[in-house]
Amino acid sequence: MKMKRIMALLTAGTMAFMLAACGGSTSSDTSSSSSGDSSASSDTTASSDSASADGTTIELLNGKPEIDTQLQALADAYKEATGVTVKVTTVGGSNQATASDTLKKDYQAGTMPDVFVAEANQFENWKGMLVDLSGEKWVSDTNYAFTNDDGTVGFPCYIEGWGLAYNADVLEKAGIDPTTLTSPDAYKTAFETLESKKDELGLTAVVAYGANNANLGWSTGTHLFGQYLDAGIISGQDSKYFDLLSDGGKIDEQRMTDFANFIDLIQQHCDKDLATQGTYDQETAMFAQGKAAFVTQGSWFGANLTSSDDYKAAPFKCGIAPFAFEDGIDTICGGATGYWACYNGDNVDAAKAFLQWCSEADAQKIFVEQCGFNSPFNSITETSDDPFAAAIVSYRDANKFSNMNTFMKKDGLQNETGQVFEDFAKGNLDVAAFVSTISQVCQNYYAK
Amino acid sequence: MKKSDFSVGRKLSAYAVLVCGIVLLVAALAMDFSGSQSAARGPMLVAGMLVTIAGIYLFPTLKYHRALIYGIFLFPLLFTFAVTVIIPLVEGIGYSFTDWDGVRVTGFVGFENYARMFRSADFVWSILITFIFVFVNVILVNLIGFLLALLCTTHIKPLGFFRAAYFLPNLIGGIVLGYIWKFIFNEVLTKLLGSVSLLNASNTALMAIIIVYIWQYGGYIMLIYITGLTGVPQDTIEAAAIDGANAWQTLMKIKVPMIAPTITICTFLTLTSAFKQFDVNLALTNGTGSVANFMGQYITNGTEMLALNIYSTAVSENNYALSQAKAVFFFIILAIVSIIQVRSSNKKEVSL
Repeated sequence: MKMKRIMALLTAGTMAFMLAACGGSTSSDTSSSSSGDSSASSDTTASSDSASADGTTIELLNGKPEIDTQLQALADAYKEATGVTVKVTTVGGSNQATASDTLKKDYQAGTMPDVFVAEANQFENWKGMLVDLSGEKWVSDTNYAFTNDDGTVGFPCYIEGWGLAYNADVLEKAGIDPTTLTSPDAYKTAFETLESKKDELGLTAVVAYGANNANLGWSTGTHLFGQYLDAGIISGQDSKYFDLLSDGGKIDEQRMTDFANFIDLIQQHCDKDLATQGTYDQETAMFAQGKAAFVTQGSWFGANLTSSDDYKAAPFKCGIAPFAFEDGIDTICGGATGYWACYNGDNVDAAKAFLQWCSEADAQKIFVEQCGFNSPFNSITETSDDPFAAAIVSYRDANKFSNMNTFMKKDGLQNETGQVFEDFAKGNLDVAAFVSTISQVCQNYYAK
Repeated sequence: MKKSDFSVGRKLSAYAVLVCGIVLLVAALAMDFSGSQSAARGPMLVAGMLVTIAGIYLFPTLKYHRALIYGIFLFPLLFTFAVTVIIPLVEGIGYSFTDWDGVRVTGFVGFENYARMFRSADFVWSILITFIFVFVNVILVNLIGFLLALLCTTHIKPLGFFRAAYFLPNLIGGIVLGYIWKFIFNEVLTKLLGSVSLLNASNTALMAIIIVYIWQYGGYIMLIYITGLTGVPQDTIEAAAIDGANAWQTLMKIKVPMIAPTITICTFLTLTSAFKQFDVNLALTNGTGSVANFMGQYITNGTEMLALNIYSTAVSENNYALSQAKAVFFFIILAIVSIIQVRSSNKKEVSL
């Protein structure tokens, strides 16, 4: 009996000891992550060697995998210049939601990075938690900082713009002056001219247009829909169609009909297979091979072009024409589309200093030359050798940028409208049905 | 030993230890919830737990001692289970009654999220197609898996090759599989047959997902059936042959009844995994596809099943609380289905 009790006590004691061992490691994990060292916080985070609390390490969350190595170079340059370590963590891929999801996880775990990437619609999530950067020097050097009720919260990383991108060499050969493309009639004539000279110019389709919702819903549902919202209105002047949309998902029928007619015109001159089931890669390949004169993409497309072997073998000049579905539209949607926000944690001053340095010539050189960004800062005159850089700069300097309210619409609406574009491309809807369906979809979505 | 055998000192120390443990536990939890960053709260929590257990152990009665020791043995497992399953479940149910946006909770909304999800046509549609998908798949996957198993238990020559070939698709991850089949549907089949892609319309796209799912899962289910079929005693089959049973009779009267437990397992597996279908759905169509008129609306998630609907509500619509409510609903459906299924299968096994 006595022996049994001793045995029981011993085993229980062993169990308790094992538990203590497990418990010990758990608790040290918690305490280390709460002090800001995120070595155990996430699968995507590289291990950090020093805690951020001492002010010498800034954590930066990047959402663009394609510029990861360039940002490492930026971090090295900053380390050399100031001795402050910048730890770059890259997440994401094609799905833009990943960075924001990582942040939500980090927030719950108490391991928020000091500087992180954000898009216009994501600032709402972090209301009251971001640093107001309005007192910084770089703010006076740019028109593209993101401002909301919290103050100036977004450091602009780059500017982009989109309309109808074109192959300038093909248009020149066909005798079309792209500056005249400011009305649907001008486009109609141009498309017909190109259509008639297709063989001579080596085109398989006049426009590379992709509307498959699963593959290119982000293009149609966000960017093309954004043309409906803002095309033709100089940035900052008016947002009436967006205001209408925000008011319960209302659509201006006349403007949407004009827009639909223009999409219809594009559809008459595009590759049907590409339109209904093509991917971004196929769209890129078609344009890069010079087999399409136009593509329904924007300046980000330049990076895809320059990395395409077809384009490298036979480069051509590119430009961006306005999405002129009504007479006189001569603007493209453009501005800063990627921002860095600064989290109000215990590293604010170091983060502010880093952002200031990023806005200056040394850092901008890396952004412009290595990342291919168009700089949002006025004092930076260098342009990248991106095929669309010149187009973006010319619209920017001429003040012909329209708003990009499409990024401020209710989250997820693009998945719904993108489907309407796909059905339109498949021929399941005609112009009138497209207009009525898209307004029904928007209203239902805003009512949800 | 009787209770009276304990000295007053022993009793007092037992109470003291117990109280001390509980105080430590409560203090550690209170520190955590009040947002304290003190590094001591982790060790405090663990120490509190250990002291509490010691206190209970010393508690002056031996009535439950044995149960207690068992409890201490189980504790690490129960603790892990609580942390990884029970607590998140309770927390998740809690979130479904709020307006949580993934970052913070600003208010309590009661059953509003639950009411909203049943008002939206897209969610009702997702429920509907998920049930259709599950129904069709449970039948087809089991049927095909069983037929393949029959084939692979005969005496044809390259048996090992067939088994490996049928099982292989299961080893490829669903996302990769989805993209491979997307290419097949969009590029290969259209060129070969000159038809439009199956993924072109919602109803055919749903059929495509079913095909891929069967292709992925059939081999796995086959493997389980093979184990069942090889477990059927040879003497029973011989006895049937001597009694003059033909192949069909042997199959229906001997083999199928003998592998009833295997059928239970396979049905259960396909049922729950078909319900939770996500990766192939995401890769193949990402839930796109239109339905011209469902509940009086044009809806745009023609091929979006429940799991994917929950995911996209959270991630692309940035509506975490609503998504959480849907997830709770999903959990309830799965729990009910599983319980019914296990209950009814158990009954059948007994009667056989």
